[in-house]
Amino acid sequence: MTTLRAIDVSVIFEDGFTALSAINLDVAEGEFVTLLGPSGCGKTTLLKTLAGFHTPSTGRIEIGGRDVTADPPERRDTAMCFQSYALFPHLSVAENIDFGPRQKGVPRSERAVRLAELLRQVDLEAQQAKLPGRLSGGQQQRVALARALAIRPSVVLFDEPLSNLDAKLRVQVRHEIRGLQRDAGFTAVYVTHDQAEALAMSDRVVVMRAGRIDQIGAPESVYRRPATAFVADFVGAANLHPIRSAAGRRIVTDFGPLDLDEPAAPGATHLCWRPEDARPEDALAGGAGDGTGDGAGDGSGGNLLSGTVRARAFQGAFTELLLALDPDGTEVRLHLPGSAPGLGARLRFRLPPAALWTFAEPGS
Amino acid sequence: MTAAVAPAGAAPVLRRPRRPALRRAGWIVLLLLPGLGLILVMIGSVLYVAVAQSFGLYNLAGESVLTAAHWLEVVDRRAFRRALSYSAYIAVVSAVASVLLAYPLALWLRRPFPGSLTAGALLKVPLFVPGLVAAFLYLNLVAYHGLINQGLMALGLTDRPLRMQNDPGAWGVIILQIWKNMPFALLLLSGALQGIRDDVLDAARDLGAGPFARFRKVIVPLTIPAMQASLVIVFIGAAGDFAFQSTVGPTNVQSMAQLMLFLSGTAGRWHEAAVVGVTLMVLALAGSALLALLARALARAAR
Repeated sequence: MTTLRAIDVSVIFEDGFTALSAINLDVAEGEFVTLLGPSGCGKTTLLKTLAGFHTPSTGRIEIGGRDVTADPPERRDTAMCFQSYALFPHLSVAENIDFGPRQKGVPRSERAVRLAELLRQVDLEAQQAKLPGRLSGGQQQRVALARALAIRPSVVLFDEPLSNLDAKLRVQVRHEIRGLQRDAGFTAVYVTHDQAEALAMSDRVVVMRAGRIDQIGAPESVYRRPATAFVADFVGAANLHPIRSAAGRRIVTDFGPLDLDEPAAPGATHLCWRPEDARPEDALAGGAGDGTGDGAGDGSGGNLLSGTVRARAFQGAFTELLLALDPDGTEVRLHLPGSAPGLGARLRFRLPPAALWTFAEPGS
Repeated sequence: MTAAVAPAGAAPVLRRPRRPALRRAGWIVLLLLPGLGLILVMIGSVLYVAVAQSFGLYNLAGESVLTAAHWLEVVDRRAFRRALSYSAYIAVVSAVASVLLAYPLALWLRRPFPGSLTAGALLKVPLFVPGLVAAFLYLNLVAYHGLINQGLMALGLTDRPLRMQNDPGAWGVIILQIWKNMPFALLLLSGALQGIRDDVLDAARDLGAGPFARFRKVIVPLTIPAMQASLVIVFIGAAGDFAFQSTVGPTNVQSMAQLMLFLSGTAGRWHEAAVVGVTLMVLALAGSALLALLARALARAAR
């Protein structure tokens, strides 16, 4: 059942700037959907429009099947977790959490039960009398989450809630939020510009660019089969190459022909593959080319390519190589686990046809 | 800072020089002395002379005798008690009304909009107009042949001029006090309001708080210090008012400042004037403390 629906929503600000263009989004009950995109893509504007802080210029918002487009935030069945936490600095942790239920007129006995339950869930029972300024960033984030959940909203809207936390704490709180969402069963719309966060937490990812949605899909599908060059490049690392010609399962690129697993997409303009999909064959001796620059499949499990290592960066779990391919020097990125050849070394690797996909990029 | 000499080959060790606590305290006192010392000497000496004079010491025209007779005599006088209650009334009404009027204006000016800078500047103009000048401008408006009466008669709304000057309800004084002091309260409250982040107010709204609930439960508690400062400063100024009262105030009652001037100047009773002066200082101190505490209690009850 759909809990939240945005239908043809556009937001044009007073200065004429179009922040959102014809956004259509359906979020199912209990689903965790992430709005992902670079700064200025409109993801926070969309979230605030869902919350009621912006009124759509066109289109409408439905929550639980009810049109709430004209309703102010205080009358919507949503609660928001703000990037800065937005805790009330003059109220204790317990008073912050109790603020919403008091406003909504929840009976005192029921409020006490909710407060105790939420304090336990976010593990802040011992801190309940403290003012927010006395808490760490992670604790403040948990108070903000508990405060949002206290009004039992159908939808919780998260506006980059982890952006102020350090990397390690971010991963921990990420799991806590997802765990709470699963336990409480609320619907979540989560805004982030961190693709790792989006892929790790979401049931579905909505990739946005310049006020529009580029792609909606499960994390695996967005990562493995990006719909546009922008999605491929923004979500994870990708190698993108223009296609000169395509015929069936064979395409021709600047660095030679390649075999695909499936026929190329109709009107395909670009080839894409992930750096970690390269399978190294061996490091070649000497600095000269070995003549295997045609890249064609050789029937032994992939397209054989070779090149020279131009740059090398150790990343811990893998080493990133910048390789100049034979014969034209096209630069590609490779992520190789374990030891990797050094600068100037020659490398031969295979690209499995299943790891390559093509798409038509509008305007190419 | 000094660096200890390290043995050859070893890394030099930097040590913080030790400064005895007494020497540090001495430095702090010395640094504070030019500013704080002057203030303490000025206030302390005035306070001391006023209190001493109210008890018969520092007699300017005769022998000094330590006595409580001046206190008993002044407190027993009806004119004193009326002046005290009148000054307290003017001060409370002016302080509360100035703050109450300043809040909506500060909220209105919180977010910039076309013309907000001009509006803010115009609202602060009274700060630059001396009180006596403002009082005479007000007189020109409300006098028997003033602009308001001329206007009312020209419009045919009244046959004869209305008597508004030196009204017995002291509305003229209160209007002038608010006109003069509200911009100051606005200045303090605007600063405090601009310190409240938008997302805190958005969060309150998101959690179900309407405009009045947001004002009562978030804005007021977060602006208590500015509100208290406004109340205290306006109260003290209005309690000791002389210019407005002597120009446009009611003629059937004196303010404390008026009474003090009358006793010291016209009547030449310096000890009784000192009693009024000390009472005025106590009124300012106690009244402003009471208002500040009341404001805090109200804000706590509201949230």
